[in-house]
Amino acid sequence: MSTSVAEHGQGAGLSPEHGGHVLRVAGLQSEFRSRRGTVKAVRAVSLELEPGQRVGIVGESGSGKSAFALSVLGLLEPPGYVVGGEVILNGRNIAELDDRQMQTVRGKEISIVFQDPMSALNPVKTIGQQITETIRKHQPQLGKKGARAAAIELLRDVEVPAAGRRIDDYPHQYSGGMRQRVMIAIALANQPNVLIADEPTTALDVTTQAQVLTLLDRLVTERGTAVILITHNLGIVAQFCDVVYVMYAGRVVERAATADLFAHPVHPYTEALLRAVPRPDQLAQGPLPSIPGAPPNLAEVAPGCSFESRCPLGRGHKLCRTEVPVSTAAIGFGSGGATAECHFAKERVAEYLDGDATTA
Amino acid sequence: MLKLVLTRTAASLVAIFGASILAFVLLRVAPADPARLLAGPFATEEVVEAQRVALGLKDSLVSQYFRYIGDFFQGDWGFSFSVGRPVIDQIGSRLPASIELGLYAFIFALVGAVICALLATYRRRRAVDHTINGFALFGLGTPPFWLALIVLLVFFGILDILPGPEGRLSPRQEAPPEVTRMYTIDALLAGQLGTFFDAGKHLLLPALVLGFAPWAFFFRLLRASLLEVSGEQYLATARSKGIRRWTAFRRHALPNAFLPTLTAAGLIFAALLAGSVLVESVYQWPGLGALVRDGVIEQDYAVVQAFILIGAFAYVVVNLVVDILYGVIDPRTRTGSAVTK
Ligand SMILES: Nc1ncnc2c1ncn2[C@@H]1O[C@H](COP(=O)(O)OP(=O)(O)OP(=O)(O)O)[C@@H](O)[C@H]1O
Ligand code: SF4
Ligand SMILES: [Mg+2]
Repeated sequence: MSTSVAEHGQGAGLSPEHGGHVLRVAGLQSEFRSRRGTVKAVRAVSLELEPGQRVGIVGESGSGKSAFALSVLGLLEPPGYVVGGEVILNGRNIAELDDRQMQTVRGKEISIVFQDPMSALNPVKTIGQQITETIRKHQPQLGKKGARAAAIELLRDVEVPAAGRRIDDYPHQYSGGMRQRVMIAIALANQPNVLIADEPTTALDVTTQAQVLTLLDRLVTERGTAVILITHNLGIVAQFCDVVYVMYAGRVVERAATADLFAHPVHPYTEALLRAVPRPDQLAQGPLPSIPGAPPNLAEVAPGCSFESRCPLGRGHKLCRTEVPVSTAAIGFGSGGATAECHFAKERVAEYLDGDATTA
Repeated sequence: MLKLVLTRTAASLVAIFGASILAFVLLRVAPADPARLLAGPFATEEVVEAQRVALGLKDSLVSQYFRYIGDFFQGDWGFSFSVGRPVIDQIGSRLPASIELGLYAFIFALVGAVICALLATYRRRRAVDHTINGFALFGLGTPPFWLALIVLLVFFGILDILPGPEGRLSPRQEAPPEVTRMYTIDALLAGQLGTFFDAGKHLLLPALVLGFAPWAFFFRLLRASLLEVSGEQYLATARSKGIRRWTAFRRHALPNAFLPTLTAAGLIFAALLAGSVLVESVYQWPGLGALVRDGVIEQDYAVVQAFILIGAFAYVVVNLVVDILYGVIDPRTRTGSAVTK
């Protein structure tokens, strides 16, 4: 895979006029409750995903990316609770469904790959048992034999060598990269419309990371699966995603088509992330750069912009200290539909447009 | 798998051999002189000496040991002079009573602990968890004989809904035809429901009292491992496949949570089978515990010796079963090449 920015074609960019969303999340809110207070981990996040589109979510540790993913799937466990919002998947709000109704949704219409393949597989069940579990759940007509054959086929597809033999192995007999391939096989077993991959390569070494990502790229392209890829790695975003959502303190602070985001970061947080590394094509490896300062305490949300204390642009600014910025359309860039949550979004877009005009 | 069974069985045989030597040596170093005991306190030294020769006590230790083992396997477990019956007869009549009591106590403890641990963890209700946990702490700290007396006082003395300390059956109740010599089972086999309920009523209190501390112990072990396992990522994976919460829990969490409990369960099971001196005394239960206590008091070492060997045997067999079960449940103990993190 090359490292050029968003080069593959599928629904490139944002197109708000397009109504055919496979997934539309609106104002999703989740919190973790404890004796010491309530952590508002996801604070009204909205997200749109078209069929076959790839959306990236980046943001520093604790910004609520995993909580968001689990909330979408309804898999948040106490003390975590979804407290508001809609999750419209294939036209119906799955946030309203109960555990019984969700049976036909999870693993069938939407699935997830977790970060750590070491702990995501049950150590006392064979790889085959864990793949066929999902096949038999959603394609019972295949029967036991058919499910096993399908599982072997899947293992071949995720490039596990000697699949016919290794299907009866246990997870501890697989390497980390192979286990993540198995997780991908499980997630794609029933051809879901949406795949959420929560840092699928973070736990792997660099070479394996690249292999697994190339594999994922091929599989979702073949199947036309829409992907939400959560990552710390801006290089992966540049390679893989059409659209990027930048999360900060439980909010989406900026979203834009990948190329636009790298060229014109509107939100000062995004800019700081990009500024911390010299060139986008050098981002390919390594985690998100760190930015001075600490994210706010999500248990007691202060007035004003949550990035204020760390913001080079707005620190100390009265408006930023007292008023919560609203999501502002960053009109004027190529594909449109970009937003940023900053009091100065309009000015910054105007600056970019001026700059582009003078250099053009 | 076969290799596992074979190596574990070999190890078990070694353990039983060790126990047999211990039991043998015990008798040789015990303060009481069996020849003197048999001959009586007023016998002359010559008579005692003759008795020693008759008992084979003059032979070399090695040949004595082999004769002892040979006799043991032929069912000659020595003679209990304090009662005047062969040891094997005595144990044969007492062992089923202890096994039946221990079995029920074990079942109460384990089934109760599984249910309580699920109640305390699955729904994550703090109040339920705290209540059961408090009860378990009480169970771990309570002396069984004290508890035995208290519940006897309440259910027999005050409420009078359960039988008093009268052994395994009501005085006028006939024992069921002998098959296993466990009355509840034999009664069911013979279709005697009345006998079954009578035996069950007599078992209830002692089995509950005997099982209380093991219940508390199992509960705490299971609760801890259930809490640990229920946070595991692979449960989320299972649920992300569309498996319902309870099904995922039953299929992926329960077997894994059982592993740490298995070893403890085996040891406790063996201990329960061997009988309990104090609880058996309170309920007049004609089990092994009382027999061994009397054996020790009377310096009737043949009884004690047989008990040691049987106890060792029970421990070893139970552990063997546990080891094999472990291999069945956890593949990591079967295949050596663990690539753990
Ligand atoms: N089980 C939990 N109990 C309490 N708070 C939690 C729990 N899980 C997450 N949180 C809090 O919720 C917030 C969001 O966490 P989340 O795991 O979604 O972050 P993330 O963006 O996925 O971070 P990372 O990049 O490290 O995976 C954090 O502030 C975290 O402290
Ligand atoms: S609103 Fe103010 S503090 Fe927040 S990001 Fe924009 S400039 Fe910075
Ligand atoms: Mg995360």
